[in-house]
Amino acid sequence: MKQWAAIAVLCVFADLATAQKVNEFPKRDDPLHVRVAMFEELMQGNHWNEDVVMPDIIFPPAGEDRPLVGNQEDATGHTGVTLAAYAYKYAVTQDLQDRTLADRLMEAVLTLERVTGVPGVMARTFNRVDEPLWHEQVYFFPSEWHQSTTMPGYRWQGDLSSDKFVDLTYGVSKYWELAADGKHKQVAADFIDRFVGRCVDHNFRLVDFDGKTTLWGNFCPDLPHENLNAMEMLAGLKTAYRLTGKDRYREAYERLIKKYHYDEEAIMARRLWPEMWTVPWDDELASKSFCQLMPYETDPALRNKYTMSLHRYGFAWKSNEYQRSEQLWYPMLYQAFAGVDVLDAKWQEAMRAQWGFDRVKRTFNVPQKDGTVKQMESEEEGNATDLIHNYWFGRYYGFIDPQW
Amino acid sequence: MILQVCFSLYAALAADAGAAAPPQDPTPPQGMVFVPAGEFIMGSNVGDADESPQHVASTGAFFMDAFEVSNADFKTFDPNFSYPEAQDNFPAIVTWDQAKAYAKHVGKRLPTETEWEKASRGVDGRIFPWGDTYDPSYVQYDESQGIGETIAKPQSPYGCFDMAGGAMEWTSSWYQPYAGNTVACDSYGEKFRVLRGGTTFNDQFHMRCSHRFYLPPNTTSNYRTGFRCVKDIG
Repeated sequence: MKQWAAIAVLCVFADLATAQKVNEFPKRDDPLHVRVAMFEELMQGNHWNEDVVMPDIIFPPAGEDRPLVGNQEDATGHTGVTLAAYAYKYAVTQDLQDRTLADRLMEAVLTLERVTGVPGVMARTFNRVDEPLWHEQVYFFPSEWHQSTTMPGYRWQGDLSSDKFVDLTYGVSKYWELAADGKHKQVAADFIDRFVGRCVDHNFRLVDFDGKTTLWGNFCPDLPHENLNAMEMLAGLKTAYRLTGKDRYREAYERLIKKYHYDEEAIMARRLWPEMWTVPWDDELASKSFCQLMPYETDPALRNKYTMSLHRYGFAWKSNEYQRSEQLWYPMLYQAFAGVDVLDAKWQEAMRAQWGFDRVKRTFNVPQKDGTVKQMESEEEGNATDLIHNYWFGRYYGFIDPQW
Repeated sequence: MILQVCFSLYAALAADAGAAAPPQDPTPPQGMVFVPAGEFIMGSNVGDADESPQHVASTGAFFMDAFEVSNADFKTFDPNFSYPEAQDNFPAIVTWDQAKAYAKHVGKRLPTETEWEKASRGVDGRIFPWGDTYDPSYVQYDESQGIGETIAKPQSPYGCFDMAGGAMEWTSSWYQPYAGNTVACDSYGEKFRVLRGGTTFNDQFHMRCSHRFYLPPNTTSNYRTGFRCVKDIG
C-alpha cells in the first residue's frame, strides 16, 4: 500500500563499485555460507548507522561518508530482526565477536529510545545532522521528523508502528535468551519493561511523544483492532513477563485472554480471503509473534490455540512460490513449531539460491532549499536482513547445512 | 355559545397543531445531504486523550457533501491541479489552504470538526459511521478504490459516504482541547488544523468518528489529505 510516488523517477540497474566502505559482493554461485558472510560485511560496513540498521541507503546525494540518506522508516525493525539474527548466530558459533555485534545492536536499540527523550518511546530511525536532510521531505511523512532535545545534533523520526513493536520484542527476547551476558540481560529486560510497560500504561496502544496513538499502534481491547494485533500484544506481554518477571505483564496477558478473548483472536489472526485483504508483511509479524509465544507458553490449551493459528498460516503458505526472502523463513518456522515436515527439495533449492541485494544506479528528484527540485544520479543498496536472519535461524534450528 | 366556545377551542388547537407540525427538511443541493440542528454525542473516553471528555455538543442545521471532493471536481477550480491518470473519481489530495479556497469558490465552506463528527456519527455516539464494528468491506481498503467504491457502501446516519477511510478530511477547526480536557499537549493552539476520518493507509483506530488528527494548513506532509464541504441553510 505504501506509495511514495514522489521519489525516484528512473531506475537503471548497473553493477559498479565506488568509494563505499565495503564494495566486494559475492558471486551468485558462491556457497550460501560465503554469500551470507559477505552480505554481513556489506551490511555492517554500509548500512549500520551508529549500529542502527538502515534498510535502504543512497550514496552521494547527501555527500556523506556514512549512511544517512535512504528509506529509513523501517530501520528500527531491521535493527530488531538483525539483533535476533546475531543472537541465533552467537548461539551457533559461540564466537565472542558475534556476541559483541549483538551487544552493539542492543545498544543501538537503546539509542533509538534515548534520542526521543521519553522513556519507552522509540524512534523509527535517527540521523546525526543539524538540519533536515532532503529525503525527510520525500520519504514517509515529513512531519514525523523531530530535532532531538536529549541528543543535540540528532534528528529522529517518530510514529512507531505495531510491526516495530513486534520486531523489537522479538529481537530483544532472542538476544536475552541466546546471547546476552548477565549485565546485558538486565539492560534488555529494563528496556522491555519501559517499552512494553508504556504500551500497557496507555491501554495497549503505542502512544507517541505528543500523546497521540501512532498510525499503526493499536492493540487496544476497548476499541476495534485487528486480530493479528491481539496476537502481537500477547507475544509482547509474554516476552515482557519472561524477561522482567513482573506480575503486571502476566496479569495483563491473562486479562486480555479471559476478559477480551485475545487467544480466540490469535487463532483467527491470518485473513485467508479475499487476497486483496491480506498484507504480505503481516505474515512476518505473525511469525515473530509465534517465535515468542511458542517457546514461552506452557499452558496446553493456549499452546493448542497458537498451534491452530500456526496451522492456519501453514495452509496459506502452502502455495508460496518464494518470491520474497521472508517467505523462505515461514516453512522453517512452521516445521520448528508445528512439527510439520515442509522443508522439501523446492525449499532447499530456493534457500541455497537466496541472494541479498544488488547495487543499482538511480536518478532522484532531490528537493532544494530554494524550493526547486534537482535531478541527481546516485547509487542505492537494498538490504540483506532477511537473508542473514533466515540463514542463522535455519542454522540454529538445524535446517541449514553449514556446508551449503 | 357552547358551540361557539367549542369551535373556538377547536380552531385554536388546529392552529397550535399547525404550528407544532415539524417543518419539512429542506431539499439539499445536488450531491449534498441535510444534517438537522440539535445535540449529539461527541468525543470518546476510550480513544486518544484529545478525544476526551465525551460530551454533548450541538450544531445548527447544514448541508454536507455526500462524498469527498474528487480530483475532477478540484481540477475545475484549479486547471493546473495534477493527479494520476484514470483517477478522476479519487479524493483530491490537497492542503488545507487549497481546500478552503475551493470551498469558497463553489459557495461553500469547510465543516467545523463538530459539524464533521455529527454528520459522521449522528446523535448516538457510534464508533464508525455505520455502527460499532469494523469490516474491511465498509471502507476503501486500498488506494485502488475510488470515491464511493467500497464493497458494502455504508452511509452515515445522514447519508454521507466514505467518512471512514479513503482520505482524511480537513476541517476548519484549529487543533484545540475540548472543554474539560486537562491533558496538556504542545500541539494545541492556532498552529494546526484538524483532520477527520483516517485514511485507507491507517489502522481502523484512526477511522473512528471521534478520532482527531492534525497538520499544518500549508502541507499534506505526504498524508492523504482530502476534504468535503458544507453549505449553510438560509
